[in-house]
Amino acid sequence: MELFSRGRLIETVVRRAILILVLAFFITPVILIVLTSLKTRLDALASPPLWIFKPTLENYVHIFVSYSFGLYIRNSFIAATGATLVSVVLGTLAAYGLARYPFRGSEGVSYWILSLRMAPAIASIIPLFIMLRTINLIDKSSGLILVYTSANLPLVIWVMRGFFEDIPRDMEENALVDGCSRLGAFFRIALPMAVPGLAAIAILTFLFTWNEFLFALILTSRSAQTLPVAVLLFMRETGIDWGNMTAAATIMMLPMLVSTIFVQRGLVRGLTMGAIK
Amino acid sequence: MDRHPSRTFLWPAMLVLLGLTIFPFVYSLVLSFNKWNLSDRTATWTYVGFANYVGILTKDPYFWSAVKVTAIYLTATVTIEFVLGLVIAFLISQEERFVGLIRTVIVIPMMTTPAVVGLIWRFMYNPELGMINYFLGVIGIKGPIWLGDPSTALVSVMIADVWEWTPFMILIMLAALQSVATEPLEAGVVDGASRLQLFRFIVLPTIQPAIVVALLLRAIDSFKTFDLIYVLTQGGPGITTQVLSLYTYKWGFKFFEMGYAAAMSYAMLIAVDLIATLGMRFVTWQSKK
Repeated sequence: MELFSRGRLIETVVRRAILILVLAFFITPVILIVLTSLKTRLDALASPPLWIFKPTLENYVHIFVSYSFGLYIRNSFIAATGATLVSVVLGTLAAYGLARYPFRGSEGVSYWILSLRMAPAIASIIPLFIMLRTINLIDKSSGLILVYTSANLPLVIWVMRGFFEDIPRDMEENALVDGCSRLGAFFRIALPMAVPGLAAIAILTFLFTWNEFLFALILTSRSAQTLPVAVLLFMRETGIDWGNMTAAATIMMLPMLVSTIFVQRGLVRGLTMGAIK
Repeated sequence: MDRHPSRTFLWPAMLVLLGLTIFPFVYSLVLSFNKWNLSDRTATWTYVGFANYVGILTKDPYFWSAVKVTAIYLTATVTIEFVLGLVIAFLISQEERFVGLIRTVIVIPMMTTPAVVGLIWRFMYNPELGMINYFLGVIGIKGPIWLGDPSTALVSVMIADVWEWTPFMILIMLAALQSVATEPLEAGVVDGASRLQLFRFIVLPTIQPAIVVALLLRAIDSFKTFDLIYVLTQGGPGITTQVLSLYTYKWGFKFFEMGYAAAMSYAMLIAVDLIATLGMRFVTWQSKK
């Protein structure tokens, strides 16, 4: 079979052209937002849109000064980091237990955990709202962290279990024979080997929590309000302040833009709950 | 051995999960058999039996409209995303060099905050300032008011969804395509099979489990869509984009009829459960063949 026939060349050219269009389709809206965030108020409202303009950071300054954007960034950061830490710690431990020491009902437990991912947020939001209200955790970061942890645990457990099951048991068994405790075997042998998967799932958990909207919308009002909900603020004024809003949107996209490079490895696994490796 | 070791590892996570999932579900269930308006400070729970459920199913035309909108939304977006995803993944799989770069770029739409995706598309759909009408204008078409016109609103929202989630399909399909073993393919080529035959008899069976997983996950997530539509249209204009999750939200947090909303969210739960169970049954049935 010839590799460099004319047909092959045309095929490659057409294919590359299509792929470039596809990539352009996916990335252009994002670039648009970033560009608009650098325009002055006047330029942003220009119609037809300006392609050449003088960039300015005034929108970014404005949202921090007039909209207390720093508070929202802090809240989102606290919620995301807190939830990620707790769910990764608890989830990895649980995953190890399920992978290495299965018991009679463990498949059932695993499937129950899987089923949690299916539930629509709206179904649990009402009782969660009332529960948090009762223990006075509404509009507090700790309340949010609690709720987000329960939302992220199923994914962490399910994916980390897959990773642990992929690691051969020999080394841990040797360590146990040598007198190591089970927890010790976990920390010193299994955990270090699971670090790449752990890193990926931690980043994914952070991103999911950072992006979460509904729980934040209902469970916070002013003190613990996170970025996704804060974005609505720019819409309640008369008309929409596009310069400010695109600046806010750009900042919100930063963690994702920074971390996508690192998530590549465990991404598909994390997205499909470990079904596809 | 005094205590099963998995308990030591498992219980902290279980505690959190049980407390924050089982309890709310039981609470929700009980609440759905009562009437309770949260905004009325003096109101308490009033037992009404199945009245909420009966009301939803027989006396609430908006419920069925929401079901219809959700069904259209789900079927259209998942189908388009699947087809596009498979085709684009196939094209990418033919590349040798730029795959890593392509994957990194492609991930962006689906990792962006859905609320922000809503913002992005609100900006693009803006009749005066948006890119879409601008480009349409350049080629001489007067663009509609995408999000404000009842006849185009749903399509507009669906396009935004396709932009956001096709990458999800692409990634999964790509991983599946890349896992197809080369020997059967090479053997097929030697035997003189056409590309289409290769695809139908070798590639397709291998990637079928991945297709099912991808479709299932995407269907469930599509059913649950809230953030995107909330930011884009809030369910409007009128009720043309009001999906079930938005309608349930309205009852709970606009009208504050918690019992009714709880019943509706249970209806949603049952629907998701059906989709998931049917899907899983299909998967296990397929894998046994």
